[in-house]
Amino acid sequence: MCTGRVDPVIVAEAFKKGLDGLLVVGCHFGECNYVSGNFQAKAKLDMTRRLIKHVGVNEERLSFQQCSSGEGALFAEIVGKFSKTIRELGPIGGDGDRVKAPEIFKKLEAAEAVLAGEKIRWVIGKRTPFIESGNMYGEVFTEHEFNRAIDMIIVEEIEVQEILGKLKEGAQSVKDLAKALSIPSERVFRNITALKRKGMIKLEKVSGRTPIFQLVPQEV
Amino acid sequence: MPDKKEDIRIGVFLCHCGSNIAGYLNMEELEEFSKKLPHVTFVQRNLYSCSEGGINEIKKGIKEQNLNRVVVASCTPRTHEPLFRSSCGEAGLNPYLFEMVNIRDQCSWVHMQEKEDGTTKAKDLIRMGVAKAALLEPQEPIMSEVQIRALVIGGGIAGMTATLAFANRGYEVVLVEKEEALGGMLNHLSKLGPTMTDASALAEEKVRAVTGHSKITVFTKAKVTLVQGFIGKYKVDIETESGNKNIDIGVIVVATGGRAFVPEGLYGYDGKRVITQLELEVLLKNGLASAIKNVVMIQCVGSRNEERPYCSRICCQTAVKNAMLIREQNPDAKVSILYRDMQMYGVENEEMFRDSKVKRVRYINYDPANPPEVEPDNVRVYHALLGRDMDLAADLVVLSTPIVAQDDANVVSQLLRVPIDENGFFMEGHVKLKPLDFATSGIFLCGSARFPANIREAVAQGLGAASRASIPLAKGSVVVEPIISVLANEDACRGCGLCVALCPYGALEIQNTEKGRKVHVIDVACKGCGVCAATCYQHALSINSFTDKQIEAQVEAFLN
Repeated sequence: MCTGRVDPVIVAEAFKKGLDGLLVVGCHFGECNYVSGNFQAKAKLDMTRRLIKHVGVNEERLSFQQCSSGEGALFAEIVGKFSKTIRELGPIGGDGDRVKAPEIFKKLEAAEAVLAGEKIRWVIGKRTPFIESGNMYGEVFTEHEFNRAIDMIIVEEIEVQEILGKLKEGAQSVKDLAKALSIPSERVFRNITALKRKGMIKLEKVSGRTPIFQLVPQEV
Repeated sequence: MPDKKEDIRIGVFLCHCGSNIAGYLNMEELEEFSKKLPHVTFVQRNLYSCSEGGINEIKKGIKEQNLNRVVVASCTPRTHEPLFRSSCGEAGLNPYLFEMVNIRDQCSWVHMQEKEDGTTKAKDLIRMGVAKAALLEPQEPIMSEVQIRALVIGGGIAGMTATLAFANRGYEVVLVEKEEALGGMLNHLSKLGPTMTDASALAEEKVRAVTGHSKITVFTKAKVTLVQGFIGKYKVDIETESGNKNIDIGVIVVATGGRAFVPEGLYGYDGKRVITQLELEVLLKNGLASAIKNVVMIQCVGSRNEERPYCSRICCQTAVKNAMLIREQNPDAKVSILYRDMQMYGVENEEMFRDSKVKRVRYINYDPANPPEVEPDNVRVYHALLGRDMDLAADLVVLSTPIVAQDDANVVSQLLRVPIDENGFFMEGHVKLKPLDFATSGIFLCGSARFPANIREAVAQGLGAASRASIPLAKGSVVVEPIISVLANEDACRGCGLCVALCPYGALEIQNTEKGRKVHVIDVACKGCGVCAATCYQHALSINSFTDKQIEAQVEAFLN
């Protein structure tokens, strides 16, 4: 078993259930017993850090560190430091985080859905080829460009999940959704259009001149 | 196999490990706690769960209590999981319905001063183990054939010994040496202590045996450039003078040795008047100049310091042996050895040490805080007993420097994906239980690549590593752990190939099936790292014994 097994979904789920800190310690690069599992772990966890930060969790709560089995003193130092950081931050959704409990757990639910979703998993899985050999058009991305793309996807995907979450409570208009979720209405509209095209939502009725949208139940 | 959750009967065995666990954790509390966990029907404490008595208790529990899951909370799976698993197997329980909880290495040993907190943590760990155990599923081991051919990397004394040991058992061996000649460090030595055997005679004998053996293929001025595959089925690329070779290999022995540290900038080292023990060996081999009448040796040069905290441990015996050889070649010569501590382990070394004092080799202790100073004609050293500086005349100053790791140790480490320690020496799977095996099965190590070894030790380790590596060769097959990736949800798989690109072992492939393009796991090649399962956006892949559900159950158990 390898740090490469750490699925971001489980990370978000753990925070959602009240975890205060998660430290993942893998091998040094080039010494991974599973060759490149630690690279994959770092890529996934870096992305997860960006995502939890976006939804209001202090990203210090998630840490990826490296240490070999021959470095006991270093391991103790890593654990000691992390433990101190988490103690200082206090319980999740408290003073240490931008978004407070219980709101933060709702946000993490959206984060979990994003991490389980196709888009971000596909992109993060393609990280190595995108950075090293390029995409199918031969375009090679720098790490910075890749991270910017990830950030854009995170923003959009979280919006989508939040819209879907809100629509679970009942049919709503674009305007009401925008207000409830503090997302600009033109972005809500764009996401609604995309979701409608995918068959995930549909028009319930037009109230006056305002269209009201509702969820389409999905098969699991 | 019960298929309903209600039928799950978990037995928890809490090991005292003598006082290693029981001395620091409250075992009665852990017992009471474990009894209340879901599905736990039996809890027992043992003085040593791994002892014959302890094992019998586990077997008895499985039979008499009708347990269908076993949790042992004890030392570490690194050393004891195989034992407990096979014991479950012997009692008729599928070995993979066993779960180990580490409450010693990662709990009692860490929290020796915090009994209460340590016990609380142990409870968390046991609760998590039990939660996972409830979801465990039986697995069957996977068999794989072994290519009956060994690869030895490094043609020094350790590597040549291992090579001959394989060949004399009738196995084909490929020996790869980066230098032009076989022999390694042995080629530079004069006589070997404590028996004063001629080093070149030993080297010649071994080289002759290796090069004349029909089972052995030797590549000199060659290097291994690529290693793919797994135990029994390695594909190794070797760059040789006569072109690149691609050879199928079953097992690999690393015998790349070490090199003597060159003390640039220390004690006026110049390679002429101030030399290393290795350079002295060459002088002694060719006959020491008769003009050399006063020799001073300084021990621990460049070792046991902050940069290299280890003791190279063979330099003391080398210094004493060489002091005797100097006295033998130039009987009038005065030899002084300035030391911090004399490391003369074993009967013969100690005897040689005593003998050297009779032959008037002089020993003076020095303090590393106030080290000797090498001056143009003499060496000045503070003598603690006399309480003053002493000047020792010196025509020749010999620095005893440690054996350090080869410069390319990290290259070999990456090639074979085996670990090296902070000093660059290769790390065995376990200091005591697997001293000549790497953690990765199929790869073994011996000689100074592991840690400074004298010739006798290098030979012993070479024989040992070859013995260990011969086990899979003799069996002709290996049994691979079934803790691997599986396509748990075939319908969900879209055959996209994202996982195939990320698999570091080439263990995944896309096949066209009746249901369309689906991923296929090549089970013997899979190591179970889990990257594919953590990547799949359809959540179609899973890892045996580390399923999402099992990990989630552990996380949940931890948080509750």
